[in-house]
Amino acid sequence: MYGGGNTFEGIKTDSLAQEDPQKLAEFEARIARGEKIEPTDWMPELYRKQLVRMIEQHAHSEIIGALPEGTWITRAPGFKRKLSLMAKVQDEVGHAQLLYSAAETLGKSREQMIDDLITGKSKYSNIFNYPAFTWADSCFISWLVDAGAIVNQLANAKGSYGPYCRALDRICAEESFHLKYGHHCVIYLASGTEKQRQMFQEALNRWWPPMMHFFGPSDKISAHTEVLMRWKVKMSTNDDQRNQFLDMYVPKIWELGFTIPDPNLKKNPETGRWDYTEPDWEEFKRVINGDGPCNKERLEVRRVAEERGQWVREALKSPSLRYVTPLA
Amino acid sequence: MLLNRSIAFMMKPIDPRVNRLPGFGQGSIQPKAPLDQLGTYEVFVQAKEGKPFQHEGIVHASDIELAYILAKETFTRRFTCVSLYVTETRDVYVSPLTDGQTSSYELLPPATAGNGPTEAYEVYHLVKRGKQHVHVGEVMASSPQEAMHSAKEKFGAGKVVYNVWVIRKSNIRYTNEADKDLWLTLPEKKYRDAADYKAGDKLTAFLERVKHSV
Ligand SMILES: [Fe+2]
Ligand SMILES: [Fe+2]
Ligand SMILES: [Fe+2]
Repeated sequence: MYGGGNTFEGIKTDSLAQEDPQKLAEFEARIARGEKIEPTDWMPELYRKQLVRMIEQHAHSEIIGALPEGTWITRAPGFKRKLSLMAKVQDEVGHAQLLYSAAETLGKSREQMIDDLITGKSKYSNIFNYPAFTWADSCFISWLVDAGAIVNQLANAKGSYGPYCRALDRICAEESFHLKYGHHCVIYLASGTEKQRQMFQEALNRWWPPMMHFFGPSDKISAHTEVLMRWKVKMSTNDDQRNQFLDMYVPKIWELGFTIPDPNLKKNPETGRWDYTEPDWEEFKRVINGDGPCNKERLEVRRVAEERGQWVREALKSPSLRYVTPLA
Repeated sequence: MLLNRSIAFMMKPIDPRVNRLPGFGQGSIQPKAPLDQLGTYEVFVQAKEGKPFQHEGIVHASDIELAYILAKETFTRRFTCVSLYVTETRDVYVSPLTDGQTSSYELLPPATAGNGPTEAYEVYHLVKRGKQHVHVGEVMASSPQEAMHSAKEKFGAGKVVYNVWVIRKSNIRYTNEADKDLWLTLPEKKYRDAADYKAGDKLTAFLERVKHSV
């Protein structure tokens, strides 16, 4: 799972002036023709940098995203739910592996990426800085956070970088089970007892604001991304993705008789787009910069995992091992 | 929104498993020891009997046996698979990547006859940019350079190949007979399949109930 474009920082395009204009033109023509860029093709430094950042953040989001759901495996209601949730969490960690490999082809080692995650240098999807209090929170994540991720990943799978697209094709195929499983869980809660319905309604109330943050700052305030759109690094704007998500899932939530905690949420018949209360972008900024309910816990879990695994990695080390940048 | 505010200061994890982690909340955050990320191995998978192997990606591992196990976990949890193999990334010999109408075979450096013994090599082609490298067959040669030229003769005629990989067969960890049962239970694991989560009846019944209760 992942939410795109979660930064306000602009991108510096100065480095573009230093690129060979002819090579740059050929590179852009290749992308315009719909061809993929492969690791050994020429590419501008800015393209490489932005892709590493994006794919790396996506990988971190998968691995951190496995934590709030992972803690519900032992408490999932019944054997079947445990089996499904375990398979889903395993998939998410597997997605991280595929994505780290795709980022590695651009020259940043996986080790460096994991270091940057633990030290807080690189970010992950902001939504995982919120806690999963009840089983219903876990169901919200499986259904709707994954739904948001799918909107984002299907778009990115049509991007220009070959290894990332191939990883995403694999990931999207697996996500279809996550989505159906999540919906299945929520339908069961919705058609269950009053208590179960209430539990999901409360989870929905808690998760709606972070869900609206998920696709990143509104286009009005986010940094210019034309060059990233032209290079097919970013495939659609944050607001377009948010709108697509609302289009697909608000009716499904309403159908189950739940209310969405935003009195202004409705489809505008004139624009054909959803109106909603502007999400609190100050809160988003604050949480992404470390001040959310679970930021410390999430990184601490990763840090402890690294620390506890160190002796294993030490024991496995061998003088003949060599780190080589993966091929494709 | 208000709810999120009020929990924003909750620091103690709600999950007992997290609280029980030895060392949780102690230690400081420090970069890991350098180069403990192990080596990289390329993974090739065969989906069905009679279909060619295809490159799928990489795993990090301490040796080729562990690489094989991790490849199985990472790339064959779903969909049918009958065989896979792994090799160290540095054991894959790679031709220049081309585009348009230029075949990679045209850009091979002149063949240097190896002085080693003749060995078998697996040959992979990239015939569509953006897709995976696909297995085309094997050749015998005394060096990787010579293997590239033999591959050109044997498989390169009359088509544009954007990239060629050759791998010495002795550097590959193949699937052996005893490994084959790894995938036998794959079709039973329906819980990994979206089709196993049909809730349409339940949803219809619920909607009916709601309609009648209004
Ligand atoms: Fe995901
Ligand atoms: Fe995922
Ligand atoms: Fe997922």
